[in-house]
Amino acid sequence: MNDLPDISPLDSSSPSDLNRREFLQGGTVASLMALLGGIPLVAPAAEKPPEGATSYKTTTPPVNCGVIGLGVHGREILATLARLPNAPVVAICDYYPAFLNRSKELAPKATPYADYKQLLADKNVKAVVIATPTHQHKQIVIDALVAGKHVYCEAPLAHTVEDTKAIAAAAKKAPKLYFQAGLQERSDAQRLFVLPFIRSGGIGTFGDIRAQTSKKQSWRRDSPNPDRLKEINWRLNSKLSTGLVGELGIHSLDVACWFINERPKAVTGFGSIRQWKDGRDVADNVRAVFEFPSGITLCYDGSLLSSYDTNFEVYTGADATIMVRDFKAWMFKEADAPLLGWEVYARKDEFYRQEGIALVAGASKATATADADPIAAGFTPLYHGLAAFVTNADMHHAAVEDFTSSFGKDADPAALLDYLKDIQKSKKPHADAQEGLEATVFALRANEAIKANRRVEIAKADYEVA
Amino acid sequence: MNLRLLLAATLALTTVLASAQTAKYTATPGSKLRMDGTSTIHDWNAETSLVGGSLEWDGGFDKAPKAGKVAGAKVEATILVRALKSSGKSSMDAVMHEAMKAEQHSKITYKLTELSLKEAPKTATDAMAFDSKGDITVAGVTKPLAMPITVTRDGDKLKIAGKATLKMTDHGITPPAPSLGLGLIKTGDEVKIAFDWVTKKAQ
Repeated sequence: MNDLPDISPLDSSSPSDLNRREFLQGGTVASLMALLGGIPLVAPAAEKPPEGATSYKTTTPPVNCGVIGLGVHGREILATLARLPNAPVVAICDYYPAFLNRSKELAPKATPYADYKQLLADKNVKAVVIATPTHQHKQIVIDALVAGKHVYCEAPLAHTVEDTKAIAAAAKKAPKLYFQAGLQERSDAQRLFVLPFIRSGGIGTFGDIRAQTSKKQSWRRDSPNPDRLKEINWRLNSKLSTGLVGELGIHSLDVACWFINERPKAVTGFGSIRQWKDGRDVADNVRAVFEFPSGITLCYDGSLLSSYDTNFEVYTGADATIMVRDFKAWMFKEADAPLLGWEVYARKDEFYRQEGIALVAGASKATATADADPIAAGFTPLYHGLAAFVTNADMHHAAVEDFTSSFGKDADPAALLDYLKDIQKSKKPHADAQEGLEATVFALRANEAIKANRRVEIAKADYEVA
Repeated sequence: MNLRLLLAATLALTTVLASAQTAKYTATPGSKLRMDGTSTIHDWNAETSLVGGSLEWDGGFDKAPKAGKVAGAKVEATILVRALKSSGKSSMDAVMHEAMKAEQHSKITYKLTELSLKEAPKTATDAMAFDSKGDITVAGVTKPLAMPITVTRDGDKLKIAGKATLKMTDHGITPPAPSLGLGLIKTGDEVKIAFDWVTKKAQ
């Protein structure tokens, strides 16, 4: 890869890089699925309250947020926080003035900072969302925890295993603060709905997993300033980039590992630069095969060359196969599979020669048959992830405060840890520091395997905080 | 005049002596309080392990408990509404906290007014059965509450256990009928409370 030409045409015509966070046009996916035929698995939408109901706000108290890193994704975070009832953004930070300026519209009341340390010194900020380039995460996370802020750190947590472990260790060392890894699919209603289908063995003898993130996009950003150009194109620099598997694939891979409750023990990678020969040394076309202790394998394909079939995860079973994509999931039953009962009423979508049964989170008979589109309504996985962050940060803070007010400042710190463990189950589903560490580690090992075109074993110790 | 002075001095002295002999216990981690209620769909419960406050009684009683009214008995216990977590989803917690008007009244408080031991214990580790009278304040509304309690000594700790039944409407709380998921869920007025409160002798 290193012998490629250094300079290449910029691809300024490509759409802005929203990556996995891309806002899918509702119709596109639905019609694609209709073409292919499947039974959608969809989370239920809220229904109109019946008469005689007492009404409650059920929102938790506001948590003042600061956002560090205001690139495309940082600004999407700002737009998402703005839609939450309890997440006022009081400070924003980016050392690149143009990003800071562009973000002011999204957070008009926020104090702008060029230096993240100044934002961390702002006493008004209780929680921070870190959306800087991956290789800048470590120091900011550590400083934020020292400054007493709750932290949401985008995934992958870091670009090296060492940095990732340093982040997880810092989070564990600060039990009074809440840390959430930016694996937002863990909070997503649709995935939480599909989880028991996989875990309960409902699809029969488990076969294998396929995951894909495909889009036609250069990943290259444009800037008139040569220094800036180098800086914003960190994804194309193999020393800093975690590659397609790290920047895009990590989310699907994390969901798959969560669903089957296993961590990969080895990964074999393949990668090449086929489309974007612009001097980059990061593959634009990758494949990684993960091996799990139970014998299950997962094949991941990542592409910046083709957008065919976009992003999905497929879980193959002897009775049924489940496909999860974006906000929906479908079950494809085998002819000899036992009747579950409910699927008779479920909405069916036609896929190519296949009928998919919709798995709709929270669906009643009425809503499962409707073609509701939570993503179009803005209820993206990122929305669920940030909603969980703000609510859980408030709960965590309240728990520490309540414990201290009940038993005094000198109360046994071990009892506080027990108490925090106790309230864990009341929190909204999320990825914690350990889960963030694990996902980042296997994505980084996969990237290593892809770069070297070989098999890399993932030691148990890799998943442990030093 | 002299007699009055003498009386006042005696009273003051008695108070000083009594306070010097008071045994005080403060809340320590390890407690559990559970609320059990009903609804049209299924029973619900909520728990917390945070029960704050303190108990004190006469030092003499602390050493050798005697049946009858306990001298110098004083109990103040506090439960933080937002620390109550329901067995259901966290959205149920929000409903419960809001119904209990947690924003205006963040605490449930209990204050003892009278405590009497039913029977002197035979050994130091025997559980002691008491009758208690006190006032409980929920959602800002105070009501008298009488309940039997059991106190067990465990080293420098006292474990205080008890049960009581409260009515939401007594404290101005409308039994929640939230619309969550399956439609209307109407909760019953009565809530049973059971607690194991752990306190530790103050140094």
